[in-house]
Amino acid sequence: MEFEVVIGLEVHVELQTESKLFCSCPNRFISEPNFNTCPVCLGFPGTLPQLNNEAVRQALTASLALNCEIAYFSYFDRKNYFYPDMPKGYQLSQYFEPIGSSGYLNIEDDNGRPKKVRIGRVHMEEDAGKLVHAVGGDASMVDYNRVGVPLVEIVTEPDLRSPGESRRYLEQLKRILQYARVSDCKMEEGSLRCDANISLRPIGNQTLGSKTELKNMNSFKAVEKSLEHEIKRQYDILNRGEEVLSQTLRWEEDKQETIVMRGKLEAHDYRCFIDPELAPLELTVEQVEKARSALPEMAEARAARFINDYGLPEYDAGVLTSSRCLADYFETCLDSYNNPKVVSNWIMGEFSAQLNNVGLEADQCSFRPKELAELLQMIDEGVISGKIAKEVLEKAFQSGKAPRTVVEEEGLLQISDQSELQAIVEKVVNENPDSVEKYRSGTTKVIGFLVGRAMKETGGKANPRLVNELLVKKIEE
Amino acid sequence: MELRKVSIRQAAEAVNSGEVSAHQLIEETLNNCSVLNEGLNIFTHIAGIDALEQAKAIDRKIEKGEKLPLAGLPVAVKDDICYGVLPTSFGSTAFKEFISPYTATAVEKLMDAGAIVIGKTNLDDMSLGSSTASSPFGPTVNPWNTEYTASSAGAAAVATGVCMLVLESDCGGALRQGASHCGVFGLRPTRGRVSRYGLNTYSSSFGQVGITAISGENIIGALEIISGFDGKDASTAVCKDRPTGKNNVPDFEDLRIGCPAAAFDHLEPELREEYEKARQVYADQGLQFIDLDLSLLSEALQAYYVIVLAESSSNHSRFDGIRFGAAEEAGNLEELYCKSRGAILGREGRRRSIFGTLLLRKGNYDLYYRQALRIWNLVRREFTNALTYCDLLMLPAVKTLPRLSAAEPDFLDSWSDDLFCAPVSLSGLPALSLPAGQLQGIPVGLQLVGRPFSEEILVTVADRVVREVKFFPYGNS
Repeated sequence: MEFEVVIGLEVHVELQTESKLFCSCPNRFISEPNFNTCPVCLGFPGTLPQLNNEAVRQALTASLALNCEIAYFSYFDRKNYFYPDMPKGYQLSQYFEPIGSSGYLNIEDDNGRPKKVRIGRVHMEEDAGKLVHAVGGDASMVDYNRVGVPLVEIVTEPDLRSPGESRRYLEQLKRILQYARVSDCKMEEGSLRCDANISLRPIGNQTLGSKTELKNMNSFKAVEKSLEHEIKRQYDILNRGEEVLSQTLRWEEDKQETIVMRGKLEAHDYRCFIDPELAPLELTVEQVEKARSALPEMAEARAARFINDYGLPEYDAGVLTSSRCLADYFETCLDSYNNPKVVSNWIMGEFSAQLNNVGLEADQCSFRPKELAELLQMIDEGVISGKIAKEVLEKAFQSGKAPRTVVEEEGLLQISDQSELQAIVEKVVNENPDSVEKYRSGTTKVIGFLVGRAMKETGGKANPRLVNELLVKKIEE
Repeated sequence: MELRKVSIRQAAEAVNSGEVSAHQLIEETLNNCSVLNEGLNIFTHIAGIDALEQAKAIDRKIEKGEKLPLAGLPVAVKDDICYGVLPTSFGSTAFKEFISPYTATAVEKLMDAGAIVIGKTNLDDMSLGSSTASSPFGPTVNPWNTEYTASSAGAAAVATGVCMLVLESDCGGALRQGASHCGVFGLRPTRGRVSRYGLNTYSSSFGQVGITAISGENIIGALEIISGFDGKDASTAVCKDRPTGKNNVPDFEDLRIGCPAAAFDHLEPELREEYEKARQVYADQGLQFIDLDLSLLSEALQAYYVIVLAESSSNHSRFDGIRFGAAEEAGNLEELYCKSRGAILGREGRRRSIFGTLLLRKGNYDLYYRQALRIWNLVRREFTNALTYCDLLMLPAVKTLPRLSAAEPDFLDSWSDDLFCAPVSLSGLPALSLPAGQLQGIPVGLQLVGRPFSEEILVTVADRVVREVKFFPYGNS
């Protein structure tokens, strides 16, 4: 039997606020346990939460960026449960009334066709603490640094149909939230977390099959892999005529397989009710419209502008806007070196290669846009050749030195001195009589070969235009 | 200085002018405290040396020419309100040694005005009750008849003259019933007028900080100091929208008092008779009475308990042996929770957690909790509506005489004691409990309920009527 895959994703992202959601503790990672804590986030008796307005603004921005309808009146609810990661015994979360609902984002399906993925809800909540299990001991310890960090949870409708679509959804979501400057969305660092609900059903069936929930994926790739793994597992079960058990599965990255975390997916009864300590969250039309007009230009719009304003090919525009920081890098570079296509080529080529080597984003490396501009100017000025420039970029990128310093220190200055080059040209002509003869008899394209010889003689430092000129002059003498 | 005979203004003036030093005043008070405490069991902690040190600091300020509105005046704080200098027990043996790293906003404001906290007053276990009968420190004895409880230790403290003001919590009426049983004044302010920050309450919706004193004048003096917007408590935002300046107190002849005659039918005949006499005194003073109907009192009481039980189960879930309270030996987490919570919470705390958990469960939520919220809304509307026909409402403060010290009351009887106070808590309106008469030598009080922020009117009426009649147990100051 043929089956259709049905996937829904629940994504938690940490907002980029200065302080936590309900107190003034810094929202920053720190390794020392329980350092960023105060009586409020530790739930001391008698303390009360204070809502962080900046977190609300960011959650509103995220909701708008994901095309959601905005709840002008919402509130926080208490999700009651007993676990040591929540000092109050409940989590404050927008359970009944999310700030954003009925949104969507656009991706490409597996056949490259545009597809709209519906987003059911975007809601705010506070993060929980972390349990640390003592190595070799039987004790568990709790670190409350993360308690109260503002999160938004973004839940899709069951619209995704393959692991590839799921991955593209996550990439697009990350791009949008980065563009909107509400989260850095680093899954490896936990600022983006994803759980997946997955089920299979016979093609043409409208009712959903029984689903499993996948947890503990630490990268987009892991999400894709775990889904592939789970599809195969469910497929085999269904083909044997058995039933898929509703359960929570944990992805084991080392073994590339899942293990059962919890049996039957019982609906938790969190005994939710509206928190009586916080005031209802009321948004005004002005607030929402202000946030809407402050929405930064998103990737698609920016790519269109790159094509229109800079005359870049569609491919270049797509690559450069794939992350906000790369597009920012490109435009900053243009401020000091106004040749968009050349800048684009260098960013997509050598610069991206260097980034990939070290696994950094464009805004994390010490080779800043003005350094790239400086490098490109040196080529134009004839100070270095394009070939040498690649070497300079690599060295400057790795050492953190300015390109001009690298050129000077490494003696990579281009040779444009006629008398110095004349001797080399004569040497090349004398050593390659056959090629010279060919040229004279009309096969002028061998000049390329001769220029190459001359470049090799100088270790790539010769000014190729000048060498070409001198060679032609010498041969035609 | 006989604290029961002077107003806070007069007492502060005596200290500010150097007629008596804060140190003398406090030393004298502390001596009285220890004597009285032996018989009445008013205090869980007496400040001793800390209070004397603070008194010296106040005297230094006064020597430098500072004038403080509560200079050197002895005040007490109920033991569910955090005061960082002394232990805050919440009425629980589990927290006998707990010193909060913060002080309640209202306490801070009193201290900034020159008041000196001489001790923490007794309360029911986790302040669940309005009798002090379940206190692990033993019940507070009624100063008028030692066979009975005082209901509120703060009221007993004021009645015996060991302090001029007490900050007390009031949820379903503990403060107002205590004032009634001890023959003093107790104010539950408009919701949001006084910050709740630092009050450990089992009910976030109804728990408030109120004031107990010997006169309306003293209450209003203290209210002006402790009220106002506090960034740490969202409910105080109502203070920002409120026009500043004093309430104009209308002429006595223009005031109409709404009196729901049917409410008094709930009372035993002798008690009812006392209230009838009191009502006559008010009428003799020229106040007009209009009859009106508050039909929802019984439903309001039920709704109050449904909401309060639900909130108790959530607010008390942090007392789990991991963050707060001692952990019991256990083989696994669930056992740890069961044993520790069972040990930390007293009988009433366990009862309320269990009931509250049940009430919030799926299925029950709609049947009980949601229904209670609806009734809450109706009650609010009924009170607001009633106050469009009159300026004040008059209600009994108590349904019976206080509990006998030795008796363990049935919990349903205890809950039904709140019949006249809990509905007012639902209304969010200010309510003043004041002496109205006596039965078997024990004072009984009534409540005046006003429109939001009309506390000045309540106390003006109260002081004038009480001055004119013989049932004020302390004579006329």
